[in-house]
Amino acid sequence: MSEGAGAGKRLDHRLPERFVPTIDHDLCRACQRCVKDCSYQALEFRGSRVVPAGGCVACGRCIAVCPANCIEVRPVPPQFAPHGNWSERARRAILAQASSGGVLLSSCGADDDRPAIFDDLLLDAAQVTNPSIDPLREPVETVTYLGRRPGRLDVQDGRVVVREGDTPLIRSDMPLMFGHISLGSISYNAQKAMFMAAKELNIVAGSGEGGLHPDLYEYADRICSEVASGRFGIKPEYLKEVAAVEIKIGQGAKPGHGGHLPGEKVTAMISETRMIPLGTDALSPYPHHDVYSIEDLAQLISVLKEATEYRTPVGVKIAAVHNVGAIASGVVRAGADFLTVDGFKGGTGAAPRVIRDHAGLPIEVAISAVDQRLVREGLRNRVTVCAGGGVRSSADMIKALALGADVVMVSTAALIAMGCRVCQQCHRGLCSWGIATQRDDLIARLDPYIASARVVHLFHAWNEELKEVLGAMGIDSVESLVGNRDRLRYRGPNPKIAEVMGVKHIGEGWG
Amino acid sequence: MTGESYVATRPPGWQGQLGGCGIASCISLDGRTIPGDSIARMLTIMEERENGLGAGYACYGLFPERKDQYCLQLFFDDEEGKRSAEEFLAGRLDIVHDEKVFIRRNSTVTPPYPIVWRFFANVPERREWRGALDLSEEDYMVELVQYINASVPKAFCVSSGKDMAVFKGNGYSYEIADLYDIGRYSGTMWLSHSRFPTNSPAWWAGAHPLSLLDWGVCHNGEITSYGVNRKLVEMNGYRCTVLTDTEVVVYLWDLLVRRHRLPVEVAAFAMAPSPYAEIALLSPAERRLAEWVRIVYREAFLNGPFSIIVGRSQPEISLIALADRKKLRPMIAGVSPDGGLAYCASEESAIRIVEPEARTWAPGAGNPFIAAVGKGVLRKGTEPSFQGVRL
Repeated sequence: MSEGAGAGKRLDHRLPERFVPTIDHDLCRACQRCVKDCSYQALEFRGSRVVPAGGCVACGRCIAVCPANCIEVRPVPPQFAPHGNWSERARRAILAQASSGGVLLSSCGADDDRPAIFDDLLLDAAQVTNPSIDPLREPVETVTYLGRRPGRLDVQDGRVVVREGDTPLIRSDMPLMFGHISLGSISYNAQKAMFMAAKELNIVAGSGEGGLHPDLYEYADRICSEVASGRFGIKPEYLKEVAAVEIKIGQGAKPGHGGHLPGEKVTAMISETRMIPLGTDALSPYPHHDVYSIEDLAQLISVLKEATEYRTPVGVKIAAVHNVGAIASGVVRAGADFLTVDGFKGGTGAAPRVIRDHAGLPIEVAISAVDQRLVREGLRNRVTVCAGGGVRSSADMIKALALGADVVMVSTAALIAMGCRVCQQCHRGLCSWGIATQRDDLIARLDPYIASARVVHLFHAWNEELKEVLGAMGIDSVESLVGNRDRLRYRGPNPKIAEVMGVKHIGEGWG
Repeated sequence: MTGESYVATRPPGWQGQLGGCGIASCISLDGRTIPGDSIARMLTIMEERENGLGAGYACYGLFPERKDQYCLQLFFDDEEGKRSAEEFLAGRLDIVHDEKVFIRRNSTVTPPYPIVWRFFANVPERREWRGALDLSEEDYMVELVQYINASVPKAFCVSSGKDMAVFKGNGYSYEIADLYDIGRYSGTMWLSHSRFPTNSPAWWAGAHPLSLLDWGVCHNGEITSYGVNRKLVEMNGYRCTVLTDTEVVVYLWDLLVRRHRLPVEVAAFAMAPSPYAEIALLSPAERRLAEWVRIVYREAFLNGPFSIIVGRSQPEISLIALADRKKLRPMIAGVSPDGGLAYCASEESAIRIVEPEARTWAPGAGNPFIAAVGKGVLRKGTEPSFQGVRL
């Protein structure tokens, strides 16, 4: 980029801080643990006191490690002259771009305050005409199978013949899976914690597109290997020893976009796992360069099925975009055994902010569109639909199921369970919690056994809450909730959304 | 009863209905005929299970002289509905005989009353429907009937099977029995149903039994998985016109048993499956079947409380009774002392009123009772899930 007359001069302006760590010096023991743990160097020890040094991102690490409980991280009150249209956010973006001249990067999901449609949906419950069920007294089942289903059983000479699809089904004890977060975007310890949790919970975890570290193959029977456009780390065992294989076409946080792991994060371990040279940028092209059309995708699906000798289901992940229903139908017809739809609010380790915040479709609408489309085409009972992107709670998960997802994909919430505070600095690689970083000293802060146990707790709790809601609805097995939009009502500002989703408005009964 | 009442035309804004019900059925195991008065007594004794917003009867083995012809019984709002339906049927079915179905005109049932008409018909050799040729007779009939119910104004086909007919309407069980003079009919199997719906208006065509081809279904309960079940039948070409969960149950039986040819026990398992924890205890072959039935027919799983009685005349007149897998709605079975008659009903009183000395038992949760005319009770509903199924 030409900088013209400004060449060689310092262009960036000093901007107001967004957060300031505040130390209660009456309580502070001056142990400097916070200074040591702050990977953003937002605290320093000056004289005899810990003082803020600028650049605090509110990661909350200092609060967690302070033995005296004397730190508060306070948001700095607005420092910009108020203006209804020129928000601080808009002005900061302009100032940053005027300094850097670059594409603004950010991480985690879209952070603006557009309300989630999930919050506009209300769940049904049983009263009088059907009895609710207490899951502590009666079985309420959450087992879910992932993969292609044959649509019917055959009967020959009075004998029922089970003719399986060409690939097997994967059993999951909960309608939940861990989304794809690559080794590279997160640390070895974080990924190991996730895989350990998946094994204990008997659910599936995504590998992300960064290959699979040799030490993590012990969890292979719970792992869904991702084949993305960069084809990182793909070797026979990466496809053959795992539970499932998924072709990643897109990601909800950055539809139409590829990936970029900067060279400084490509450590020896990452280089070995991704099978790329040490220190080089890992670039995932925007499209797969062998998938320029739906028929190309069909070929890639076939190639992977052949390569894996039909021992694993092969799925396709797409970002939720406006025409998602038709795309989903094409993907299923192309032979995908399962389809993963990743919504607008899905997380990322790094994405251009303009795409993260402005491209795609909310997952709630995308699930309904896919479910309705596949029903209309008679395909819905052949394929498993996984969906995620901004699922924050068991309530979101339950609503996603009722809208039509078989399996709900959760990533950010699992990272939060490990310690992530959603400070949205993943792209900087300085994660003070040892999650989104490749710095050994930071990684060592995350104990995979503790992190895994916390994730197991979270998912177990969500699954229990699912059972409670199912029981309250008078449903004793989760498959009877999937796509059962009758049990939802919309109470938001725009009834058109409800109509598009096939959800009735509050106040509309069905009897 | 006061309030709005609709006959063939669907009430405006109709979104389906729910509520409690009484169901009763009897089947002749030795081939003797059962008079209509008998089923009416069974049903009406359970008066606490109804509130006057719908009742109905289905009789099988009703037309031994015409048992190879399809019997279509239709409700018409008026003569215009009848003309439209006749116009539609002309050329599409070979109607061999038609007649007015007897209805009293001085009943306590809230008017309006439908014109009820019966057509005996053969299916023509050339069976073309929207360009598709060579449909099976049954599939062709399904298309015709569903078209009438969705698209022919002021007409509704309430039954369309061989050797059977449905008599139903908006009233108490005794009123409907009286309205149709149900005692004038006798057959080898009867199903019956009285409703306690929690909504109005009442719709004659929406009363039970609901029927398609020879399938007749009476249902007590509320299917909490309706939205899911509906998707499966719609994916398989059925059009939901009544918008009740019971309608979907009819289509599921037709899909699973007639079209997919599943044994009745297997279809019943799909609708009321054992929990995976129990499936794990089965023999390997049974376990594999059970798991695959659950996986493949996931959308056929009827969740929530229900007990249903299901009748069919093809290939033989038979009765199926099934309760949900937790048995949240009642179902009791019985056999007469001489072994010649079998019964299934919501309450024991329904059986005792006609057969004081009957031997009764309770079929298990999700466990089908099956009996066939001339054959006896084939399954009591207390056996292991796949007993008798060839694996």
